[in-house]
Amino acid sequence: MPCDQAQRVEAYLDGELGAADALAVEQHLEYCAQCRALLAQLETLRGDIRQRATYHRADAALRTKIARALDSQSPRGDVIPWVRNVWTGAAGGATATALAASLAFFFLLPAASDPLITDITNAHLRSIASEHLIDVVSSDRHTVKPWLAVHADLSPPVADFSKQGFTLVGGRVDFLEGVRAAVTVYRHGAHIVNVFAWAGYNEGLPDFATRNGYHIVFWRSGNLVFCAISDTAVDDILELSRLLKGMSQTDARE
Amino acid sequence: MDDRRRRFEAQALPHLDAAINLARWLTRSNADADDVVQEAMLRAWRAFDGFRGGDIRPWLLAIVRNCWRTSAGERKRRGHFALPEEDAAMTGDVLTFSGPSPEASAVRSDEGRKLDAVIATLPEEFREVLILRELEDLSYREIATVTQVPIGTVMSRLARARAMLREKWLGNVEGEASHAL
Repeated sequence: MPCDQAQRVEAYLDGELGAADALAVEQHLEYCAQCRALLAQLETLRGDIRQRATYHRADAALRTKIARALDSQSPRGDVIPWVRNVWTGAAGGATATALAASLAFFFLLPAASDPLITDITNAHLRSIASEHLIDVVSSDRHTVKPWLAVHADLSPPVADFSKQGFTLVGGRVDFLEGVRAAVTVYRHGAHIVNVFAWAGYNEGLPDFATRNGYHIVFWRSGNLVFCAISDTAVDDILELSRLLKGMSQTDARE
Repeated sequence: MDDRRRRFEAQALPHLDAAINLARWLTRSNADADDVVQEAMLRAWRAFDGFRGGDIRPWLLAIVRNCWRTSAGERKRRGHFALPEEDAAMTGDVLTFSGPSPEASAVRSDEGRKLDAVIATLPEEFREVLILRELEDLSYREIATVTQVPIGTVMSRLARARAMLREKWLGNVEGEASHAL
């Protein structure tokens, strides 16, 4: 015979009770072993589901299909996609200034940067859609950095920014425009951030772009070009790029 | 500039994962889920002017669920049912995010596959409230919005779903643990 408070214990677990009701349930739990056992089981179950059950994510193909489907629906379907993407990027207020500077580049040199942005977006989508997200799994920069140095022949700044919300999860080698790129992979909440670094002098890159809902930040340090891409909020990806830029300066001083 | 498209992308696209997660758990088929979500995003786009602010996720997920019910109805009329192979394919191509140790992650993904299979056997009306509560972290009120039933029904379905899992999953794990010892 289940306790008549069982339903309230579930509502308590789900954070659906007000302070007074929650207190009443807590008092009930003190003397009802049956409800204590129920709560313990429900907590175990919740932990198992949240840690082990699959959370399905949209893959690259679906994102592309939806973007195309929306394009065909848009009243302004004549707008060139990359122009629209620049303005999509302008949504982030914090980036407006940086954007104003890069807009000039973008309008002057769309042809130079657009294929690269497509390349990077595709590489990001490939990494998330396939098993090939990470070659070296580690949250330790002293493992990831030397690995990248050996396999990508590049030594970009690598650090774990867990405290700031960006957990280092590993690295891999990818190819952009036919050259090897060192990729550092971070996790921000449920989002993956890929940070590409490659040796190049790509002129006319924008500071910021948005493609299919993914935000892309470019910067340059020494002879390396850096690019962070993710579907996080604009401010989050800008924050990570700021942290990494700070690292580059520290590295240079060392 | 297409301001409406910009607002839609900024507000709705961040919830695309939630949409596909719900759709896959409902359809238990990758291909069907993709079709459902694409149709849902188009419907959401057309209905976007009617969205009156607030949290867009329950609104979007309600559209996903409606699209699924429409397509499920069509399939039933055509006599099509998901084949077991499609279910297997669903669990096969999922991004599982591994921790530092490959061994630990192998164990976890194996356990994860078992748990996925158990949840997949729950009847639809129980499966959907469980996914919305535990994986999407929606409140009872939000789940009621998505599933279009009263809050009391949400609560009783959720309790029923958990009771089934306590029996099928926790019973399972304890049995195996004692066996292993």
